[in-house]
Amino acid sequence: MASTPANTAAAPVEVTPPPEANLLIHLSTVSPEALEPALANLALAFPGLPLTVAVPDIAPNLTATNSFNTFQLFPYTPAATSTTSWILTAADYFNTFKLAQERNAPACLLLGAESHTMSPESIRNLGAAALSNSDLAVAHYHPRPHEGLLNSAIFYPVTRALFCARPRFPLALDLGLSLRMAERLATVAQRFTAANQEDALIWPVSEAAVAGFPITEADIPHRTAPQPAATDLNALLGQIAGSLFSDVESKAPFWQRARATVPARTITAVPGPTEPLNVTSMLESFHLAYSNLHEIWALVLPPHTLLGLKRLSVMPQEAFRMADNLWTRIVYDFILAYRLRTINRGHLLGALTPLYLAWVASHLILVHSGIPAERHIEELAIAFETDKPYLVSRWRWPDRFNP
Amino acid sequence: MWQQVELALSQSAHRALVTLANFLPGLLALMLAVLIMTAFGALLAVLLRRLLVAIRFDERLTRNPLISLDWAPSHSPTLLVTRGVFWAHVVLGGLIGISAFDAAYAGNSQMSFFLLPYLTHSVGAILLFIAGTLLARYLARTVLIEAVNARLHYARFLSIGVKWLVLVLTTAMVLDHLEIGGTVVDLAFGILFGGIVLTLALAIGIGSRDIVSRSLERNVDTEVLPGDPTYKPPITHETLRHF
Repeated sequence: MASTPANTAAAPVEVTPPPEANLLIHLSTVSPEALEPALANLALAFPGLPLTVAVPDIAPNLTATNSFNTFQLFPYTPAATSTTSWILTAADYFNTFKLAQERNAPACLLLGAESHTMSPESIRNLGAAALSNSDLAVAHYHPRPHEGLLNSAIFYPVTRALFCARPRFPLALDLGLSLRMAERLATVAQRFTAANQEDALIWPVSEAAVAGFPITEADIPHRTAPQPAATDLNALLGQIAGSLFSDVESKAPFWQRARATVPARTITAVPGPTEPLNVTSMLESFHLAYSNLHEIWALVLPPHTLLGLKRLSVMPQEAFRMADNLWTRIVYDFILAYRLRTINRGHLLGALTPLYLAWVASHLILVHSGIPAERHIEELAIAFETDKPYLVSRWRWPDRFNP
Repeated sequence: MWQQVELALSQSAHRALVTLANFLPGLLALMLAVLIMTAFGALLAVLLRRLLVAIRFDERLTRNPLISLDWAPSHSPTLLVTRGVFWAHVVLGGLIGISAFDAAYAGNSQMSFFLLPYLTHSVGAILLFIAGTLLARYLARTVLIEAVNARLHYARFLSIGVKWLVLVLTTAMVLDHLEIGGTVVDLAFGILFGGIVLTLALAIGIGSRDIVSRSLERNVDTEVLPGDPTYKPPITHETLRHF
C-alpha cells in the first residue's frame, strides 16, 4: 500500500534512535585534567548522539556545565569510593550498576583511566560490542613485547585454560557491560565494599564465564595504559596475582568441570623490538633467588619442577629459555599452594617474583631472536590448557605423590 | 657422737620421705586430672567431628555471606572447632590438676609455696618459647624473600641474623620468666644481642657498598651536561611494563 505525499506529511515521523543512544558511558577513574579530552574524544566517537556520560563529581565546574556537545553530563557522588585509579576496582563496578539502573540503560561502557588516549573508532567498536548480543565486551589491546607482561605470563593463560574464555586481557581497563552483567559484577563488588575493601579487584571474564554470559572482544590498537602508583613489582604481583588466585579458588567447582577448548587466535605480524636487550638484572634476580629461596620453593614445587629450575640456573644468558610446560607447572603449583596455605600467602607470592622475572627474561630473549611475542604467548596458553588436568587432579587430591 | 650423727641422718631421711609421701599424691592427682580430661576431650572431639560432618558444618559456614573468611582444606572450620574442644579439655585438666596439687598441701607448706608458682611459670615459658620460635621463623622467611627480591647478596645472612636475634631474645625472656640464671642471663643476653646487631650492621654496611656506589655513579652520570665532549648518551633500554 503506497502512501500519498499528503499522508506522509500528516503522519508523525517516527525516527528510531540508533542503539548507541541508550548507552551509558561511565568514566569512573577520570582525572580532572583528563576530563575534557575524554569528553571530546567521546564526541568524536559518537557524533551527534545524545548520550549520558556519568562522571564522579571531581571537577569543581562540572555541575555548572551539565552538557558537553550533545552529551548529557551526569555528575554523581559515588556510592563507594576507591583510592586506586589505575585499574577498575570493586567500587567502580558497584557505581556503574547503580548508575545504569538509575538511568534505565540497557548497556554501559566502563572506561578506565586515560581513556582519552584511545581512538574514537576504538570506543565506537567497544560501544557496538556492548550493544551486541554479548553481555561482556572486553578491550583487546596490542601491547609491545615488553608491556603487559604479567597479563601475558599469568592472567591470560590461567583465565583461558581454567575458564575457557578467549579474552586476551582478562583485567581490561575498558569494558562494555549489559545490565545483567553489570548487576552480577555489582553483586560481587558489594561483598567487598560491605567489608570496606573498595579497592578489591574483580575478574569480569571469569564472572561472565561462570554465569554463562556471552563474551566478546573489541579491538583497541592504541591506548596508553595508566601505570600503578606503586612501582614495586612484589606489591603488584601480590595484589593482582593474589586476587586472581583467590578468584580461582572461589570458582573451583566451575572450572573443574569446564572442558571447552578456546579456538586458536590469529597472530598478526608486529614489528620486533628495536631496542637492545637487557635481561641481566632479571637473570641475576633469578640466580640469587635460586641459591637462597630453594628451600621455600621446595615446599611448593614438586621435585621434577625443581630439577627444571636447577637446569635453568646453569643455562648461559644466550641460551636461557624457560620451557612453557615448566612455567605452567610453576604457576599451577603456586595456585595450589595458595589454596592449601602451604606457606604464608604473602611469602608465597614473594617467592613467585624471581620465577616470574626468569620467565620475562626467557620471553624477551625469545622475542629478540625473532619469534613474534604473541605466538609465544599463544603457545604458552595452549600449554596451560594441555596441563589443566594436572591442576584439577592435584586440586582434588593434594596429598597424592607427584614426582 | 655417732649416735647423734645417726639420729640426724635418720631424722633427715624421715623428713625427706614424709615430704615425698606428701608430694606424690598431689602429683598423681595432677597427672590423673590431665590424663582423664585429655581422654574425655579426645572422645568429645571425635563425637563433635562426626556430628559436624553429618550436618555439613563447613559447607554451611562457607555459604554464609556474613562470614567471609578463607579456610584452607587442612584447617577447615570443623577441624578448628574439634581441636579447640580437645585443647580446652587439656587445659582444663591442667587447671584441675594444679588445683588438686595445691589442695594436697597445707596452705603454709613450703613445697606448695615454691613449686606451684614454678609450675604456672613453666606453662607461660613454654607458650613464650613456642610464640618466639614461630615469630623467628616467620620473620626470617619474610626478610629472606624481601632481601632476595631487593637483590641483596647477603639475604641469607640477614635472614639468619634476624632469626637468631628473635631466638636469643626469646630464650632470655624464657629464662627470665623461669627465674633461672639471674643477672648472668641479662648480661649474656646484652652481649649476644649487641653482638648480633653489630655484626648485621657491619655486614649490611659493607655489603651495601656496591649499591651505594652504583647509586652515586648514576647521580653523577645524570649531572654531566650533554655539551661535555666526554659525555656519551646512555644506551636506552625499553622500560618493562609488568601491567
